[in-house]
Amino acid sequence: MINKILYLIVSLFFFSTSYSDSYVKASDTLIWDSENKKYTANGDVEFKNEKFIAYSDKMIANYVEENNEEIFTIVELFENVVIKFKDETFRGNHAIYTRDDNIIVLTGNVSIESPTRLLTGYELIADIDNNKRILNSADKDSLVEVLLENDSNN
Amino acid sequence: MIKNINKKIIDFLIIFFLAIQIFIYFYNQRPLTKNFSQKDITVENFSSIVLSKSGITKIGSEKLNKIDEDNIYLEGNSYLENKEYKIYGENIFIKLKEEISNSNDPVKVINSMGVLKSKGFKNLDNKGIIIFKGEVEFLID
Repeated sequence: MINKILYLIVSLFFFSTSYSDSYVKASDTLIWDSENKKYTANGDVEFKNEKFIAYSDKMIANYVEENNEEIFTIVELFENVVIKFKDETFRGNHAIYTRDDNIIVLTGNVSIESPTRLLTGYELIADIDNNKRILNSADKDSLVEVLLENDSNN
Repeated sequence: MIKNINKKIIDFLIIFFLAIQIFIYFYNQRPLTKNFSQKDITVENFSSIVLSKSGITKIGSEKLNKIDEDNIYLEGNSYLENKEYKIYGENIFIKLKEEISNSNDPVKVINSMGVLKSKGFKNLDNKGIIIFKGEVEFLID
């Protein structure tokens, strides 16, 4: 019984110290520009908010101050962008997330990967709130490729 | 005749004493200033207030070393606090004239967005920019 209580206390301690809804991690630098109200992270950037987790080489996040708190409004990701949202993984060269409408726009060699499909194209507009995905090609001569999993064995 | 001589003597004495006073004034001031500016000052368990572009910043440390008129070194556990941030670190150099502070030791920063930890920092207070160096982790509230 005592062991169980101790385990619970220790677990709660580690949970409270390690858990955070949102964070930014970087391996090189993080620059806080309070005059222009933005953070710039460089090197193996990892960004997590309540909606998704994103990885890239560089990130610029603009913020506003509301009720003495700073809130990210626009998050821009550069190079080797990977965004994980539920069971989907978005990849691209560049991404912009706007908090107001919860929309992510990815460009440049974009792909969406989920357990049952792989879509590739040039531009992806992911509307998180309405669960919509729009995948565009670079121009009318380009193609959007779709690879569906063959589940005939199931 | 005697009155005239007395008057001249009194005038001479007044001018003489004034000259001596001027001489003493300059003789005393110069070496005093010179000695003060060259002296290194060390204060333990120090805290003070610095006025900069971002407003009033409270600084403190286990040991303050005054390098010269414009440079101070906060040795050991140190902090910088103002209305925008609280920086807790070690061994922080401050350039008062340029409003720049920096450290190459681990630092913890608390601001209105969350808590940030990094391997070092450079605070360009006159530009409102803080550069956090090395691996950085910023936990957002």
